[in-house]
Formats: sequence, C-alpha cells, structure tokens
Amino acid sequence: MSFPISPRSGRSEALSRREAVAIAAAGLALATWPEMSRAAETETMDDLVRRVTEGTVPAEGGVRLEIPALVENGNSVDVRIAVDSPMTEAAHVRWIHLIADKNPFPDMARIHLSPRAGRAEVAITLRLAQSQTVAAVVAHSDGRYAIARAPVVVTLSACIDGG
Amino acid sequence: MRLSLPLMGLLTVMAPAQADEIVSGSTFLSPELRRQQDDPTRNPAWFWVDQGRDLFAAKRSGGGQACLDCHADPATSLRGAATHYPQVDPSSGKLLNLEGRIEQCRVERQQQPAFGYETAEMLSLTAYIASLSRGLPMSVRTDGPAQPFFEAGKAFYERRQGQLNLSCKQCHDGLVGQKLRGDTISHGVGTGYPAYRLEWNTVGSLHRRLRACSLGVRATQFDYGSPEYLALELYLAGRAKGLPVETPAMRR
Amino acid sequence: MFNARITVPPQAKAGEPVEIKVLVRHPMDRGGQSDGKGGIVPRKILNRMTATYAGAEIFRIDMNTGVAANPFVSFCTRAVETGDIVFEWREDGGATYTRTARLTVA
Repeated sequence: MSFPISPRSGRSEALSRREAVAIAAAGLALATWPEMSRAAETETMDDLVRRVTEGTVPAEGGVRLEIPALVENGNSVDVRIAVDSPMTEAAHVRWIHLIADKNPFPDMARIHLSPRAGRAEVAITLRLAQSQTVAAVVAHSDGRYAIARAPVVVTLSACIDGG
Repeated sequence: MRLSLPLMGLLTVMAPAQADEIVSGSTFLSPELRRQQDDPTRNPAWFWVDQGRDLFAAKRSGGGQACLDCHADPATSLRGAATHYPQVDPSSGKLLNLEGRIEQCRVERQQQPAFGYETAEMLSLTAYIASLSRGLPMSVRTDGPAQPFFEAGKAFYERRQGQLNLSCKQCHDGLVGQKLRGDTISHGVGTGYPAYRLEWNTVGSLHRRLRACSLGVRATQFDYGSPEYLALELYLAGRAKGLPVETPAMRR
Repeated sequence: MFNARITVPPQAKAGEPVEIKVLVRHPMDRGGQSDGKGGIVPRKILNRMTATYAGAEIFRIDMNTGVAANPFVSFCTRAVETGDIVFEWREDGGATYTRTARLTVA
C-alpha cells in the first residue's frame, strides 16, 4: 500500500473548518466541504487508525510508545517507539505510523524500516497542537498490525509571546 | 498594598521562596529539557553557534577584513569576553551589550551594513562569541561609569508595570521556584542567552525574552537594544555575577 | 538555512545494530498562518528523509506538519561494513539536501 504523507493526506475525507479554510485559500477545490466539516467532528482515533490499516483492527501489545504524559511545550515532544520484532527477512517491521487525533493533520509521520535496522527502535520529535491521544500503528511484514496509544496533556509555557 | 487578585491567590497558598542565592535558569528546567540542553547531539542551538563560527571567519565583500583577521585564535583571545557585557563603551559613553559591540565592530571597523538585532547573523555571532565563555563566571562592572545604568536597570526591575501591575522583582525574587501556569519561576538571569526556546522554535536574544516578559505582564514592550532593556540586562548580569555562561542554552 | 548534525558511534561491531542520531536545522514551517500582508504562508517542511548505507536504503521517514521544527530523529541499523551513510532530505517545492556520515566497522 502506498500512503504518501502530503498536505492533503491528513484527512482526505474529513477536514476541519480551519484546514478547509486554509486549503480553500490555497486555491484547492472544495465542492463538498459542509459534509467534510461534519465528518471531522465525528472522526475518532479508531477511524484514523483504520484508514492506515485498511480496515484491520490492530492488536494491542508488542509496541512500546514512550512519550511524556505531561508535555512542557507542544512545539517539541520527544517520542521513542520500540517494537518487539526479530527484524529478520521473515519477520520484521515494515513501518510505524504516528497519529495524533486532534492535530490539524493527524497523520504526523510514517517511518519505514527494513531487516537492515537490526532493531525496531526509533525516536522523533513531534509537534502536538493540544492535549490528545498519540498512537503508533505498526505494520509487520506478515501482514499483522499492532498499536500503542498514549494520552498526552499539553501544557503552555507561562510567557507566550508574539516576539 | 495593592496586589492583583491572581497574585494574591498565589501568595496566600505559597510559602515565601528562598531568594538569597541566585541560580541559573537551567536549574528550573525539567530533567528532560536539561538533558537535551546538555547533549550536543540534541540541542539545536549549536547550529547557530556553528553558523556564527563560519561568519566569524568569513571574508567580507570588497576585500574587507574578517572578524578573525583582528581576533585571531578566538577560542583563547575572546574566551571570557562575554562575561564582561553589557559594558560602557569608553569612547561614546553608551552601554553596549554583546550584540551592540558586534554591530559596532561590523559597522565601524568592517565598514559593512549593520546586521540588525535578532537577524540570524547577529544571533549566530552572539551565540558563538558567548559560547567561547561557557563555564566562566559572569563578571560585569556595575560601578564607575556603569553605575547609573545599573541603577536604572535596578529601578526598572523593581518598578510595577503594565496592566497586571507587577514588577520583575515580585516574581523573580519573591516567587522563585513556584509555578506560573506550567512554568517554574526562575531568578530571571540571562546567562544562557542567546538560547533556543521551545516556544519560539528557534534561537532568540535576551531582549526577545524580555519583550515576552513585558507582554506577559501586559506592559510596554521596548525595542530590541533599547536603553531600558540594556540597563535591565546590566542589572540582571550584575545579579548573575559569578554564575557561569551557559550559551547556547535551551529554555522552555 | 538547512544543516544537519549526524552522530554515529565512533566504532561499530559487524553484525550489531547501532543507533544513528540526526538533528536537523529546519523551521518545518507548517504554513497556513497570515503573512501579515493579507496572504497565507505556504507550507514548507522537509517531507522526507532517507538514509542509504552499504547498497540499500536502510531508513526512510515521510513527514507531515506534525513533526517538530529542527527535528531530531534516531534509528538503528546493523553495522555491515565500513562506509558512508548517505542522508537525503526532500523539501516542499523540490529542493533536496544531502549529508554523509562515515560508519567505521571493526
């Protein structure tokens, strides 16, 4: 399956009002946008996950998602993901897909691995718009999907400035 | 005594903070952010230091001199320089911080157009030169010709300002270690600047931070390099006497 | 102004996984904000980073606006042979940047 991360891949069938306005301003056609904005309000993490697993419900377990429960600043959030996998030709992690259900674009990144990794462990700094759930969806080479979720509270710094 | 309501709330529930010993802003970072700051593989501010090192060595257009042509071996010759700023410029009698001195050098000696405060170039050069003093104690002059500036900075620090009617001192002496929203109130020393602030997603100067403070108490924001902030910077540097330079630091 | 700081272990044992750390200087501008002149800032992020080593792509990340400014990424690779790990970043608009880091395998 090819799933390019692009500006429009965030919610292909469901745009928030803000995104819709931004995209409209960018000159993209939005013929059915009232319907889209309605969908945005009901789109859950499960919906977002099912989109990347092509409908499969991923298994819990086998994925460690390390992320602070209380984030100091949503601009830069350290995340580390480790997956139980021998990382051999026969059994390895194909990719790890990171979702934040309340970000303007919930699909944050997709990390592609191969048996050459030796160990399925990655880290990345993310941007979280608000308190929400972060999920790491893992695609194994045998077609299984696994998931780990973490609720995250994003706090604000005391002095938010306009420069 | 007139106190704004939220502050009165804070004061009633919290014990008076120990303000005797002034400590670095890094003391108040979370362990995670502190680790990130101290790890060069993780602290993005080092990119600005690297850029500053390159600029320092770069030849100017039209056969002009590089910084390095006068300041050879800067790791030795400029080690400790940043600990003495702000200082009074003997020829003009003006108070100059490190940014001001760099700009003066560029315009008067190198005969180049000014970088401008808060440009990437100015931030990089300032971060680079300050980084050459990492670990050395701050030691600004607060007497002699510097004294009136120091006094002006102290008065600024102690004066209630803005719609919240707060002075710097009320929080940064009186409530150090307490929480303000998600933050921990520090002594407000600027020994890590220019610093990478998560809030900014980039490196910024101490004056940018001071502008954020002014906005925070809804007071007048002074210009970058303004006499008000320069005097305050000297007062903060005087308070920080003996604390090590930590540029390039990370702040929240 | 793009730059990257790549950290690899000073020496690796053949066959063992090593951690590669990458810190990048890039604003990862998510776009959509007002430009103050009535327009809207376009998105400009690094949308992909790939790492190639010993004849094959060993790592790839497709990035969206949920990745932080000046991002840090780390991953593992099994040490195969002494050689360059070649990194390539692709930016919105088509610009690319490359850097290499040498991995020494004992």
